[in-house]
Amino acid sequence: MNPKAKSASYVIVGASAAGVTAAEALRRYDAGAEIVMVSDERVIYSRPLLSYYLAGKLDEDQLLYRPRDFFERYKIKTLFTRAVGLDTEKSQVHLQDGTTVAYDKLLLATGSSPRFPTVEGIRQRGGVFGLRKLEEDAKAILSWLPKAKRAVVLGGGLVGLKAAAALKERGLHVTVLVDSPHALSQMLDESSARIFEEIFERNGVPIRTKAKPVALLGKNNSGVEGVQLASGEVFACDLVVVGKGVDPNLELLEDTKLRKDYGVFVDDYLCTSIENIYAAGDVAQARDVLRGEAWINALWPCAVEQGRIAALNMLGQETVYRGSMRQNSVQFFGVPVISAGLAVLTPGPLGGRSGEHDETLEFRPAPGIYRKIFLKDETIVGFVLVGDLPIERAGLLRILMDRRVNVAGVKEELLEPGLDLGYLLPLIAENREQFVEREFRELVQTVGV
Amino acid sequence: MERLFCDPRRCVACRACEIACAVEHTSSKELFAAVLNGDLGPPRRRVQRLGANPFRVAIGGVALSLGCHHCDPAPCVDACITSAMHKVNGETVCDLDKCVGCWMCVMSCPYGAITPRVKALKCDLCPDRKERRESARYACVESCPTDALFAGRFEDFESVLARPIERPWEVVR
Repeated sequence: MNPKAKSASYVIVGASAAGVTAAEALRRYDAGAEIVMVSDERVIYSRPLLSYYLAGKLDEDQLLYRPRDFFERYKIKTLFTRAVGLDTEKSQVHLQDGTTVAYDKLLLATGSSPRFPTVEGIRQRGGVFGLRKLEEDAKAILSWLPKAKRAVVLGGGLVGLKAAAALKERGLHVTVLVDSPHALSQMLDESSARIFEEIFERNGVPIRTKAKPVALLGKNNSGVEGVQLASGEVFACDLVVVGKGVDPNLELLEDTKLRKDYGVFVDDYLCTSIENIYAAGDVAQARDVLRGEAWINALWPCAVEQGRIAALNMLGQETVYRGSMRQNSVQFFGVPVISAGLAVLTPGPLGGRSGEHDETLEFRPAPGIYRKIFLKDETIVGFVLVGDLPIERAGLLRILMDRRVNVAGVKEELLEPGLDLGYLLPLIAENREQFVEREFRELVQTVGV
Repeated sequence: MERLFCDPRRCVACRACEIACAVEHTSSKELFAAVLNGDLGPPRRRVQRLGANPFRVAIGGVALSLGCHHCDPAPCVDACITSAMHKVNGETVCDLDKCVGCWMCVMSCPYGAITPRVKALKCDLCPDRKERRESARYACVESCPTDALFAGRFEDFESVLARPIERPWEVVR
């Protein structure tokens, strides 16, 4: 045996949403288990909050997702280094410092990294950042800020727009360049996206669509000076933030036989093609309830749920993962939007179908305030809710969509912001085999249908 | 852990529980003072009509009062990006200092039990009444004139449901 090998029962690579939730579940059900976490970050913080930090609305302590003494409190052994390789035959993870750590069961929670566009000079110019990590990205941007007056954000997705709004808050001139015909193309349909483009414009952040960057101006190893578009047009800037989505971190798995596609394939128990290796979070390509095929919804709530369910299965408590769906909730300049499901999707990096729907329900009490619901064969396949009132009780639409309930009899009411659980209870009772949670069973029994 | 249930046969949709809940979550805990102070917020539970037709005979009642079920695992806790929403001894608690109003919890709650008002507001099981006993433990239960609201385990509530009620209006004190 390799004298350097450290033996352990459970090894988790990655200490963000999925990894941390898994560690908590492992400890909750197995007080004596040896748990080792490998992470290149020492604090457990919330990545979705980084834009709040960038804007100066939250300080570093307010980003913490778990207290600083989390690892001691949960008796977790930590290896603050990078995992660089995996030997699935010997059940060992190779670490950057040359040592290895052995596992009985392994959880891959390696997450994802910002997708940088293939633009000349993007890796050589200073002042070009993603917005994913606290030290490498958020803090690096903050220390670059004194040098910056004009920023260009590449990408009109959630991270891109949150970064743009944050930089505006810091007093920079910000322009957003979007390849697609409209912003938020993975989240909103075109007319909804236009509303937000106008909101950004009104708040002094112009969004240029169909703007394909081809080169970053400036000298190698010095600061960026501008972004050049395919049209030849140049946007002068001294800071670039890339927010064009993320790709799963698979470097660790390069020489392994693990079945992978865009991410690591996992079954309905979040187990990979090798029986003692599980995966959760942005790296795991798992069931998508609406698509009916394996997909990655790189979202915080999905990672948390997957981390917990993977841990339960690692413990031998067989737990089926129902599947994830695309869903998000965000506020831009005070206007909240919740969108979920397929109908508004353009094909993602995996290709695949774009959303299909055969009916759209719409309720617009005022300009820029609405509920829009997309149906296919009388079931909800997606929705977009914009404004303070329309977002209320959004979870009711989400659960009807998740459980594939036929909503033919309640279409008008679905549009009502006043829609409540009581109204839906008879429908839920009719579909009770889909609503297996204890609380739903109790409610159905209570109303005695 | 104790949870709250509502007997739809007894609920007359008077909404006393809503007012009591809203008042409980003010600084004065007095209706009149709360209105004058302007700090009367939304109730954390709502009386909800059952189905489209309030007089549907197929259903055991007309309405019921619903709030957070404190479910476990809780989708709102999974969805919360700040860890404001968390579990304490089975209760689902929102730390309002941590809440940034992203409304991921509103999107996730399958019961529609979280109200977005700058912060995520939901049933907190009346933390200021921890010392009180019996029906006074919870503001909504105390206020219910027909004893429709019940605090306890579901198994005990089941025996309440099993007991027949002949004329719902007779239960009004």
